[in-house]
Amino acid sequence: MTATLSPTPGARAPGVGRARSGRASARTTASHYLIWAVTLVLVVGPVVPIVVASLWTTPLYASGGEPTLDNYATLLSDAAWWSAVGSSLAFAGLTTVLSVVLGVGAAVLLSRTDLPLRGVFAGVLVLPVILPGLVLIVGWMAMWAPSGYVSSWLEVNTFLSFPIDLYTMPGMALVATSVAAPIIFLFCRTTVLAIDSSLEDAARSSGAGPLRALLSVTVPLLRPAILNSALLVFAVSFEVLGLPLILGFSNDITLVSTYLYDHWINSAPPEQGLVSAGAVFLLACVSGLLVVRNRLVGDAERYTTVTGKASAQRPVGLGAAKWPLTVLVALVLGVLVVVPLAGVVLMSFTSLLTPLLDPWTVLTLDNFRSVFDNPVWVDSIRNSLLIAGVGGLVATVAIAMISVVAHRSDFRYRGSLQQAVLWPRMMPGLVTGMAFFWSFAILDPSGAVRSSLWGLGLAFAVRSLALGYGVFYPALAAIGQDLDRAARTSGATWWQATFSVALRLSAPAMAACFVLLFVSMLNDSDPAVFLVTDKTPVMGLTMLQLAATSTGGAVAAFGVIQMLITVVVLGVGRLVLGRRIHA
Amino acid sequence: MPDLTLTDVAKRFGDNTVLHELDLHVRDGELFTLLGPSGCGKSTTLWSIAGLHSPDRGTIAFGERVVFDGQKVDLPPEKRNCGVVFQSYAVWPHLDVAENVGYPLKLRKVGRRDRAARVHEVLELVELDHLAARYPHELSGGQQQRVALARALAHPPDLLLLDEPFSNLDAKLRERARDWLRTLQQRVGVTTVFVTHDQDEALSMSDRIMVMEQGRVRQVGTPEEVYQEPADLFVADFVGTVNVLPGTAAAAREGVARVWLEGLGEPLSVPTGEVGDVKLAIRPEQVVVHPPGAGARPNVVTTKVLSQSYLGDHYRYVVGLGASELVVRTLAPVVHGSELTIELPPAALRVFPIA
Repeated sequence: MTATLSPTPGARAPGVGRARSGRASARTTASHYLIWAVTLVLVVGPVVPIVVASLWTTPLYASGGEPTLDNYATLLSDAAWWSAVGSSLAFAGLTTVLSVVLGVGAAVLLSRTDLPLRGVFAGVLVLPVILPGLVLIVGWMAMWAPSGYVSSWLEVNTFLSFPIDLYTMPGMALVATSVAAPIIFLFCRTTVLAIDSSLEDAARSSGAGPLRALLSVTVPLLRPAILNSALLVFAVSFEVLGLPLILGFSNDITLVSTYLYDHWINSAPPEQGLVSAGAVFLLACVSGLLVVRNRLVGDAERYTTVTGKASAQRPVGLGAAKWPLTVLVALVLGVLVVVPLAGVVLMSFTSLLTPLLDPWTVLTLDNFRSVFDNPVWVDSIRNSLLIAGVGGLVATVAIAMISVVAHRSDFRYRGSLQQAVLWPRMMPGLVTGMAFFWSFAILDPSGAVRSSLWGLGLAFAVRSLALGYGVFYPALAAIGQDLDRAARTSGATWWQATFSVALRLSAPAMAACFVLLFVSMLNDSDPAVFLVTDKTPVMGLTMLQLAATSTGGAVAAFGVIQMLITVVVLGVGRLVLGRRIHA
Repeated sequence: MPDLTLTDVAKRFGDNTVLHELDLHVRDGELFTLLGPSGCGKSTTLWSIAGLHSPDRGTIAFGERVVFDGQKVDLPPEKRNCGVVFQSYAVWPHLDVAENVGYPLKLRKVGRRDRAARVHEVLELVELDHLAARYPHELSGGQQQRVALARALAHPPDLLLLDEPFSNLDAKLRERARDWLRTLQQRVGVTTVFVTHDQDEALSMSDRIMVMEQGRVRQVGTPEEVYQEPADLFVADFVGTVNVLPGTAAAAREGVARVWLEGLGEPLSVPTGEVGDVKLAIRPEQVVVHPPGAGARPNVVTTKVLSQSYLGDHYRYVVGLGASELVVRTLAPVVHGSELTIELPPAALRVFPIA
């Protein structure tokens, strides 16, 4: 002993402890149980009433009734139902095929070749994922519908015409592809960039040309990513509501989602038992597909990180094909993204958009004025901002808490917590909405929750859990667990260590998570179908209802406002998050 | 400083038993090393002491203070008052050096002024007081390691636990850090448990070494004991290099047995009581090399040189000894042809029964 160790400053650890077995204190354990229970109740709990409702003769808010299988019998014997299932399969299949072709092609072309302007092209391609999807559809209708601005202009002024009618199955699939292809692109690009370029170099040194090496080495390595993203796209296309509601309407093309929507909204009295049975069916199909997907890929994408190898890759020269390909890519992106987006903007600033009139002569701000004159629309905007702001914040905090308990604690049931937070990803938006509708109907017969924004916000927040988790978790996983342990051995309790180290270090990821959740909740529409009341209109659903019934300039103006808010939030987020802390 | 006692500590992960009824006692102020290959249970032992793992049973006591006793007592890590230096250092990147070191004091509600004084004192001890305002990413690996050490010593701890702290340093730096840490530990006098798989580290720093394999203790002893009198072949082989020669021993006379090696005409004289199939062990530097034609003496053999190499500070030969190969190490060059005359001194030969 030397003088260096002066008598202990501060308290010495107490004598023999009476702590419970296990390394967490009783209070920590209790808090873990609380978080676990609340998560399970909010995430899995709401599904129970749907199943009960599908097996009950009367709606759950009405008294009486008895168990029955009639709802399923009616559903399964309805020819219209089966035709809807068939249409959904066809629609999802067609969308998936088109998206894979476009998405994979783009991933290889835009990340591994010397195609000019590839950065710009990639930026344009992913726009539809970022922007509200319904707004894009409005743009499609304005420009490419048979009576649309560009398609009629082509017919009047050239020998060309737009070959596909948007109001048919192939047309719907094409529109859906403009949103789905970027998803496949993003998945595959991550993989393409992570592939060790020495693999291609090995093929080169074996005598393959650059293009040959790309096609015979890199593209086959993409198979898991393609399968993974294709299944996701298929599942999402199978359940999507907005697009078929808007485009399938005029030709009576009914998909599973629109079938359910119709039998709830447009039939009197609403066939709620039948719709619940259909929702159970939809949930089973989509969950099944996504379970298969998780099995196949081991949820690998959550752990995929872009390695630093990208810089080591040399782009593959396209040679003579370079300029023709550039024109082709520009053309495709122009049709799929640029023209529709331009259409929305153009429509919002003109009183009448037609090839017969020069748009500059009919410029107006009337459309925006009428948006702000309409109290429902103004309410929608205000409500959506509230839900996205408050809900995004609450959901971000929830995701952070759930993630630390699920991944950085000794909590006994943390495995089930990891599953629970991914579960909402398997729930179609329509089903989520119905789940909360029935839950509120049972738990809150007065309807107070449902008629406030809290009900809708809660449903949106639960739905966005998986999305936020996908952003937050990789950042948390990248923080070495020794950092927590060092805090524990320094004398910090589990929560102290978690707050001062893991959560503190993942603060930038929390901010990114919030921005993403904000945008997603701002534009979400499907869960609102069953939950919305006169007092709680939200942007996504208002847009859906408007787009399904009219194509006026005011709708476009509303869409432009929606896009503007989204872009501003993302831009600010990017600016703020650009500043990194030292780490 | 308290001593540390582990009694009958056992731990399983599923079917895999990582610790078998471990007993160990670390004396007050001692630097005690857990040495073994990866997966031997040394880190599990260390983490059990720190409270980061719960053993299945057994007791762990710091002096009189029981920190773990089967299902009855299991103090969480924050209540154990250990200082731990992790292999990754685990220096918090969002805090500067002084904040890192001051964190354990802050948790113990030490006042601002006392805290600053203590941080300064500890940083001086690790020779980093001039870098107190730096952030970890502005420090070299060696400096980060010293920050981790300062943080572990700040509170001050009852026990200092070191988990392979040198494995991320380059070879030169590692040797210097070793000497430095040993001196520091002796100055502070803190009871220390040190985990490593590097025998040089263990031999050069420890008061005592415990050699572990597959969750069992093979030997506990001073560095000299472990190196010179290994308890078994595993220890002999793991600590240092050793030649292992299979042979057959005849009954001993006056404590010396004749051991026949396969393919070797003359038996070797070995001081042992073992009979039957045995293994002889001899360290390469204990084999004596003689000039050619050095008369017939017991245990002197002329062998065929299979390969030779020059390693800067010594020469290394591989020679054929009967059916076995023998590694021989010598400091001075030897003039020799294709043959080398060597002596296996009886005192240097250790005999192990075949298990």
